[in-house]
Amino acid sequence: MRSKSASTFRRSIALHAVLVPLAIVWLFPIWMMVVFSTMPENAIFSPNIHLIPSDRFWENFLILQADTDFLRTIFVSVVVALVYTVLSVMLTSMAGWALARYSFAGKGLVLSIILGTLTLPYFVVVIPQFIMVARDFGLSNTWFALIVPPLFNSLGVLFMRQSFSMMPAELFDAARVEGVREWRIFLFVGMPLARPTLAALSIILFLASWNNYLWPLLINNRPDMMTAPVALGSLIGLTKVSWGGIMVGAVLLTAPMIAVFVLLQRHFIAGIAAGAVK
Amino acid sequence: MRMRTRAAYGFLAPYLLIFATFWVWPIIYSFYLSFLATRIQPWSFNPAVTWGRLVVDPAFLNALRNTLIILVIQVPVMIALATLLAVLLNSQLLKARGIMRFAFFAPVVVGEAAYAAVFRLMFNADFGVINKIIGSIGLPPVAWFGNPTAAMALIMMAVTWRWVGYNAIIILSGLQAIPQDVYEAATLDRVSKPRQFFFITLPLLRPIILFCVVLSIIGTMQLFAEPFLITNRGGPGQATETLGLFLYRQGFTVLNFGYASAVAYTIAALAILISLANLWLGRSAK
Amino acid sequence: MRMTLGRAALALVLATGSAPAFAQSGEITVWSWNVAASSLESTIEGFNAQYPDVKVTVQDLGNQQVFDRTLAGCAAGGAGLPDVLSIENHEAEIFWAQFPDCFTNLKELGYTEEIAAGFPDFKRVELEVGDVAYAMPWDSGPVVMFYRRDFYENAGVDPEEIKTWDDFIKAGKAVAEANPGVVMTRADFNGDTEWFRMLANEQGCGFFSSDGSEITVNQPACVAALETVKKMYDAGIITAADWDEKIQANTAGTVASQLYGGWYEGTIRSTSPDLAGKWGVYRMPSVTEDGPRAANLGGSSLAIANNSDNEEAAWAFVNYALGTNEGQVTMLREYGLVPSLLSALDDPYMQEPQPYWDGQKVWIDILGTLDQVVPSRGTPFFGDADGIMNAVQSQYLNDGFDSAQAAADDAANQIALVTGLPIAE
Repeated sequence: MRSKSASTFRRSIALHAVLVPLAIVWLFPIWMMVVFSTMPENAIFSPNIHLIPSDRFWENFLILQADTDFLRTIFVSVVVALVYTVLSVMLTSMAGWALARYSFAGKGLVLSIILGTLTLPYFVVVIPQFIMVARDFGLSNTWFALIVPPLFNSLGVLFMRQSFSMMPAELFDAARVEGVREWRIFLFVGMPLARPTLAALSIILFLASWNNYLWPLLINNRPDMMTAPVALGSLIGLTKVSWGGIMVGAVLLTAPMIAVFVLLQRHFIAGIAAGAVK
Repeated sequence: MRMRTRAAYGFLAPYLLIFATFWVWPIIYSFYLSFLATRIQPWSFNPAVTWGRLVVDPAFLNALRNTLIILVIQVPVMIALATLLAVLLNSQLLKARGIMRFAFFAPVVVGEAAYAAVFRLMFNADFGVINKIIGSIGLPPVAWFGNPTAAMALIMMAVTWRWVGYNAIIILSGLQAIPQDVYEAATLDRVSKPRQFFFITLPLLRPIILFCVVLSIIGTMQLFAEPFLITNRGGPGQATETLGLFLYRQGFTVLNFGYASAVAYTIAALAILISLANLWLGRSAK
Repeated sequence: MRMTLGRAALALVLATGSAPAFAQSGEITVWSWNVAASSLESTIEGFNAQYPDVKVTVQDLGNQQVFDRTLAGCAAGGAGLPDVLSIENHEAEIFWAQFPDCFTNLKELGYTEEIAAGFPDFKRVELEVGDVAYAMPWDSGPVVMFYRRDFYENAGVDPEEIKTWDDFIKAGKAVAEANPGVVMTRADFNGDTEWFRMLANEQGCGFFSSDGSEITVNQPACVAALETVKKMYDAGIITAADWDEKIQANTAGTVASQLYGGWYEGTIRSTSPDLAGKWGVYRMPSVTEDGPRAANLGGSSLAIANNSDNEEAAWAFVNYALGTNEGQVTMLREYGLVPSLLSALDDPYMQEPQPYWDGQKVWIDILGTLDQVVPSRGTPFFGDADGIMNAVQSQYLNDGFDSAQAAADDAANQIALVTGLPIAE
């Protein structure tokens, strides 16, 4: 037994000898984001190494706010992400429900189209999508354009389908026998049962929308409807703006998501792992 | 199950409507566009300047080469690292599990704009903390944004930093689905831990790892924000220009919609081909 | 009829110096970048003295963003565009070729031939197509070498002695040796072709011939420019730095010279106020002992969006800022933007010694080269050509080509492929 525990001890040492340095390397950029956000400009661009936060966060925030009205962009991002999440959860649940609980003509086709789009890079549609929404519909700079075109989400449908198809059929058949309409069965029986999946899906969708960079960059020109990531990206490359301010923006953009991650880690991980569910 | 076609399409309708409007139609429209010369008003039919140009355009081939380099180097390294991390994070011996998971999973939630800004500052040639650390151990500073190889390495490091945790989560969930008694039986039979990993864990994880590989391939084929924001639009020169960035440049800085559409179709075809090839290789190896 | 009325109004403004009889009102928004944006802001006060009811907002989006967003806005039928747009001359023809309907014809707003004649032809050629004037010339960028007096003195280098780029390399090595941690100069090799374009323009060459019909990037003068850039790069006197990093290096005191258009005067002055008295200016060196020593880099114009709700007010602002000595000299004084309005060059301010520059009369030195500048046409294909040259230059600097000629030939072939234009014999 002695040798067993000794080998366990050695394995434990080896495990931590690999993981701890890696973890430090991985945490470093996030740590530096915080450090930069608290440093005065001339300290960021000085020959000395600063690895400890300083005390200029508030000053940097004021500079950032003066440059872009960052609070406004955060507000826009929150509204867009919330509305997007609610709509997308509804759409993908309904589609997932149909694919899980009904047999119908053309089911195989619909399912294979949805699976097929999984392998299609979004970039392929972004240019014609832009031409259509911006030029043909004339919908640049609208909430509609920010929220609706990205609603198409195959992974979400498959995720919800998976969740609904694992529910026992008797639950729904009982309701049907009593003459309950299909949409009520979906809304009041199916959806409540899918709550954990819905939580995971909502978090992933919110995160995706919150961090979405390319589409809002293209489709919106109006400064008062700029989302926070686009505002931040646009600051990189400006001369007047302070990097301390940019880093404050990065922190403000990241901190809420980190908080969500820490608080709802289980759902979060379930949402990401769902990608692998077949 | 009884046929309920009407009810089913009732539920599918909103989703399919969005799909038809914002995906199917643009894809068809973009096929039409890919045959037009769109540089000068009015647009005219001239596939020579789109498809014809594609096969001989050195800038496109450069972007293709860069993307394939990332595909061949970064994706395997990241997936191997993700698998290793998943196994280590799953270990019963791990201390401070929460912090460890946080370290690798947190980058998943950091947005592209935010992490691009941090990486730019960290790797700044003159004042960046990375070069200061390199200098403090006596090595010469690296021109991260000036040397093509270093810039490429930087992009790969950034992408790996951001996405390894994401893949590790997926693989970890696969690991946890493997029943423990398989390992218990193996341990009783005195199969060593490393052998257990190679002969039990890896084969069982194969489909999940394959899934991660395909996801990463699609992601790499449209890699955009990192070279756009970190290496300043694919610099130095076009040393880190990827297919995604090339497409953006054709579409939105020189506004050559016709050519961009041809490029987009090519990217899609490549992504699907490479993904299928991977799936096929994964299956036939059984 | 309308034109005469516009001119009458202008005459009235100039005569009385107060609000015209039919004053404009409303709000207008302007997109611009960096010091150009700041300088436009600096004219608002003078403008509002004449047009108190027009509220002007200048938004600094950064150079690349203004370009990208203007294109995207025009592609979207003008959605989201501001009233007034800043457009760089060399990129201007991209807009007119793709989106002629996106911009107002300034001639319909009162931009008469007489006003237009107040600008040099090389500034107008890219902004007017037939009878339509899409934009009004703003500033130009006669290239000079900005340098740190103290660093040069430490090395015993006299800028007057630097006549050729070889002299510059020799001086650069001396400066680096005498000032530890200081590099002679910086160039944006990673994202721009600015140095190549400045040197090529000095030698009388550019991507395209001056009528825009042929590719000239592999002509001997361009090849010489490319070769010279590489020689300096190999000598280690130029290191890579983008716009931001150059400014960081200026303020940190790790760079001894910067080659740029005259408008960089304002950038140095406003971003390194602590270094007053330490900077100076001298003419750019040439390839040969008695070669040309003048070039132009940058220079912009202002256009008015076609879907502006307030075109008249926008025109009033554009015409004040760019079309009057008062507007142009204000921008020069505050931010160093070099006027292209010819009459502004006679303003007494040009003769004044500048305290920041240790009393040097920098504007005489900078503007003294303006009449020797060879025009360089942007054409609608500037973006393609520049992107290609950027990649080729990077490859060439990293020894990817046997010779400058091979690199330039490769660039010419690529540009021909993309644009369909012939390569000049």
